[in-house]
Amino acid sequence: MSNSDTVPLHPSSQSDIDEIENLINSYPSSVLPARPPSPPRIPVSSTPPPPPSFIPSNLPPPSVPKPTPVFSPAPSVPAAPLPPIPPPRGSATSSSSIAGSGFGPAPNTLTEPVWDTIKRDLSRIVSNLKLVVFPNPFREDPGKALRDWDLWGPFFFIVFLGLVLSWSASVKKSEVFAVAFALLAAGAVILTLNVLLLGGQIIFFQSLSLLGYCLFPLDVGALICMLVGNVIIKLVVVAVTLAWSSWAAYPFMSTAVNPRRKALALYPVLLMYVSVGFLVIAID
Amino acid sequence: MEESFTNLPTSHFVGSVPAVVSEEKKATNNEVPGANLQIFPPNNAGSGGQGYQPIGSTSDGGGQPATNNWTGVFSISSYTQYFNVDTDIVLNRLISSLYPTTGDFVNKIDANPDLYGLVWISTTLVFAIASLGNCATYLMHRRSDHSTSWTFDVNYLNVAAGSIYGYALIVPLGYYFVLQYLGSSVSLIRFWCLWGYSLFIFILTSFLLVIPVEFLRWTIILIAGAASASFVGLNLRSYIQSNDLTIVAISAFVLQMGLSIFIKMWFFA
Repeated sequence: MSNSDTVPLHPSSQSDIDEIENLINSYPSSVLPARPPSPPRIPVSSTPPPPPSFIPSNLPPPSVPKPTPVFSPAPSVPAAPLPPIPPPRGSATSSSSIAGSGFGPAPNTLTEPVWDTIKRDLSRIVSNLKLVVFPNPFREDPGKALRDWDLWGPFFFIVFLGLVLSWSASVKKSEVFAVAFALLAAGAVILTLNVLLLGGQIIFFQSLSLLGYCLFPLDVGALICMLVGNVIIKLVVVAVTLAWSSWAAYPFMSTAVNPRRKALALYPVLLMYVSVGFLVIAID
Repeated sequence: MEESFTNLPTSHFVGSVPAVVSEEKKATNNEVPGANLQIFPPNNAGSGGQGYQPIGSTSDGGGQPATNNWTGVFSISSYTQYFNVDTDIVLNRLISSLYPTTGDFVNKIDANPDLYGLVWISTTLVFAIASLGNCATYLMHRRSDHSTSWTFDVNYLNVAAGSIYGYALIVPLGYYFVLQYLGSSVSLIRFWCLWGYSLFIFILTSFLLVIPVEFLRWTIILIAGAASASFVGLNLRSYIQSNDLTIVAISAFVLQMGLSIFIKMWFFA
């Protein structure tokens, strides 16, 4: 493969190229543990693939980098949330051992500063939150939100809600936290199972992630209710945030099942959010 | 044995398409002109229907069907057969659970018993009696003593969950074992379905029980308890179809009344 092929790059292929060469340099011998919503976009069996001739300057390249302005965005690539690339932190060491065996120095995720790792996860949480919860009438396919699901966001939101409820309670604080946490965590699992049992098509962890992100409005509402003492205001705030949460969860749940069973899949979601809303109002 | 395999009710499986299923589907479709993924034979047009094989009616009536839908206890697809209902079917069954006088609920569910009703009605009931019980207790205390403040007793949720889930799961199980021992073959899934739908009326009455008038509360709960208990008793009797086991139906009646009185006394005191 010479450098003289003059096929102009499609604007979207740059990200493909970056992913490919990241994959080559980081996981040369095996495919990533398959996260279903974001499969690697290259055929795994193709080694060596064409990309070595397009390697950008970011990772130390074994061959000549191509000096064109196409690659100028390359150095910023790892900071953005790449869908199939960022490995779970626990597997960073294993990936470094794989990479160290044949394909050059360890990948950046092991040697980067901790702040970079945290920042990347936080930015992913924020981008997922914007995708799921905030109104965007132009989003391309509401039912398929969250290609890049993660469970950190839902974890933070559930724990935060439990903490706020526990702070608001005057008696039996630890019981309140336990009830809230169990209700939300078990509720997310059971709602997902409900959709699967009704014959719907969803991915288990993606659904858990989505239901967790849809708790964000209720978190905000619980925080406001903790600071405000008036029951009427609490009622209004909880009603508004409840409607917002249900609105956020609706498109995902309703497209997952047969339309004749839509209400059967949506009713438990509503039940869970109403019960959490009631807990928010009632705990004082 | 070949006969049962040509009537495989696999057409409702979404997403699970082994290659071999397709030819059996064609065979099924020849015999069942109206059956496709979206349309089910009307369940109240009698049991059996046109080719939708009732689960468990051929072999044992047990909770673990020995039929070909069972792919292991940890696989979701073996349980989807019990959730094979649409919204309108569920609504129909809910409404018919409010009429305690006719014993034909078991005929309705015979072809397609569902566990969706059991799971979500009992969950709704747990939440309803825990939350409304708190409201009702607060209102009652305010009538007698105007200075009480609102407290939310989280323990209500624990007791509600334990009692309702325990009742809804264990009582049908107990009746299943007793009746198996006494000789008649019964289906556990239909029992769970029956008891599950019988709890629906308590959800509605728990809204009414918030009214802080003691006499009214007792009246409401006794009427609702009697309706639910006679629903269970009559349907049980028509299901067993053997007159010397009427004592079983009467005991179910008594148990359901006991549950209703427990709900009133513990949550809406």
